[in-house]
Amino acid sequence: MRALLAAELIKVRTTRTFFALAGVAIVTSLLLAGLVASLTEPTEDSVLTDVFASDTSSIFILILAIVGITGEWRHRTITSSLLAAPDRIRFLIAKTVAFAVAGAALSIAIAVAIAVLGLTILSARGLPTPGAGDLLELAARNAAVAALLGAFGVGVGALVRNQPVAIVGVFVLALIVEPLLIGLAPSVGRFGPIIALPNGIVGVGDEEDFFAAVPAVLLMLAWIGVLFAAGAALLRRRDLNS
Amino acid sequence: MRAVDDLSFTVDAGRVTGFLGPNGAGKSTTLRMLLGLVRPDTGDATFEGRRYEDLPHPSGQVGAVLEEASFHPGRTGRDHLRVLATAGGHPQSRVADVLEQVDLTPAGGRRVKGYSMGMRQRLAIAAALLGDPEVLILDEPANGLDPPGIRWMRDLLRAQAAQGRAVLVSSHLLSEVSQSADDLVVMSKGVLRAKGPLSQVLGASEGGPVTRVRAADEGALSAALRAAGITAAPDPGGGLVAHGTGTAAVGEAALRGGVALTELVAVSRSLEEAFLELTGTDA
Repeated sequence: MRALLAAELIKVRTTRTFFALAGVAIVTSLLLAGLVASLTEPTEDSVLTDVFASDTSSIFILILAIVGITGEWRHRTITSSLLAAPDRIRFLIAKTVAFAVAGAALSIAIAVAIAVLGLTILSARGLPTPGAGDLLELAARNAAVAALLGAFGVGVGALVRNQPVAIVGVFVLALIVEPLLIGLAPSVGRFGPIIALPNGIVGVGDEEDFFAAVPAVLLMLAWIGVLFAAGAALLRRRDLNS
Repeated sequence: MRAVDDLSFTVDAGRVTGFLGPNGAGKSTTLRMLLGLVRPDTGDATFEGRRYEDLPHPSGQVGAVLEEASFHPGRTGRDHLRVLATAGGHPQSRVADVLEQVDLTPAGGRRVKGYSMGMRQRLAIAAALLGDPEVLILDEPANGLDPPGIRWMRDLLRAQAAQGRAVLVSSHLLSEVSQSADDLVVMSKGVLRAKGPLSQVLGASEGGPVTRVRAADEGALSAALRAAGITAAPDPGGGLVAHGTGTAAVGEAALRGGVALTELVAVSRSLEEAFLELTGTDA
């Protein structure tokens, strides 16, 4: 399994798509943090969530994971992947873990960059800064969300092989379905895997609308488990004719 | 619809086995069954008794080049091999070795989308050789290759077999198979039509073997053959042609008649003739 995971991580970092999307995630995160730190005057209570919670890695790793797994079908690399590792379930596990690791790594890199930028600007302006413990906890929560959404993306792609359909599908879910459910039926919307549960894990937003961190993590794992089981069943059954 | 039905054959080590059939015969499906990519309804495909997915080191024991070679276009050839070497548990040093073996070292750092068809085929072969496998399976490997590439491929297959590997190569390029294969498996419409050594499959034509024989005294030769009950007709190219009789019988008849021979040759049917006859396809 270690070899398969290492191979999947090489796949992740040997295409331009990863670095392009990771670059966009870092730039947008820094832009948001920099603008808020420069243009607003956060209080001691709000500075952590106002300035340092702008990590956008989760949505990008979700897209990268979908591109990664559906790309196996699109470019037919699934054949060479399964010739090297014929156990299809182990292949899917390795892919899932690889994107979870990639998500966490990207999120941590962004957290470090935001912390350096945010602390520098806030200190220069004489504004309050959060403690190191609070920053570390926030970084860990963001990293957990990125890891979980990376794994979630692999599950989505394992079920929906068509790359554009899978990507458009999660955007519709994230931008239309989940916000509507959170607004109109919060008791249902709080189970949403792309906005609601991540918000619960990070600890932003109204506490009544979202689950607390631990149950939110468990519910995300349940989502991933269901998608993984369905995707694995499909992958096991499929003949690879081309 | 049955793509492959009641097909059974073995491939021996140290030999190149040509897997021949017209397009749509079921060759690719059969090879994918061998590799666990397609599941047969019944039956097994095994390597020394084990299914591909049950082999302890699959890509170290079996190397495969499938018809539609698959690469991520944005990944370099070297990185493609690094991924497969890592997943297969092969040393990273093998990447440089196989790139060298297929003459792709200078292009190894380029992205695959810039490769020609021939370069992609070489990269696919490099991937198959990564684990230094005992068995090589190649589906239409000459597709997209130019004549020097085809020659290179043929030499590679022969060299691999000479090193003791079992090589199974599918093709619809009849001339190509005839120049590189020791054994033939012929299938058509999903069904096995013939199998065995190349000469045996080619010799198993209607009417049996054909022998061309020449002597300085063709009249005496003709009489000696007649005396032995062998029917021979003049060959437009000179000499006589005996249908349904092998070289041994013709030679013995000439010896008995005291005729000195200047040529005694087994005339095989062309592979194309054999192929068309065996597969029941039209010319």
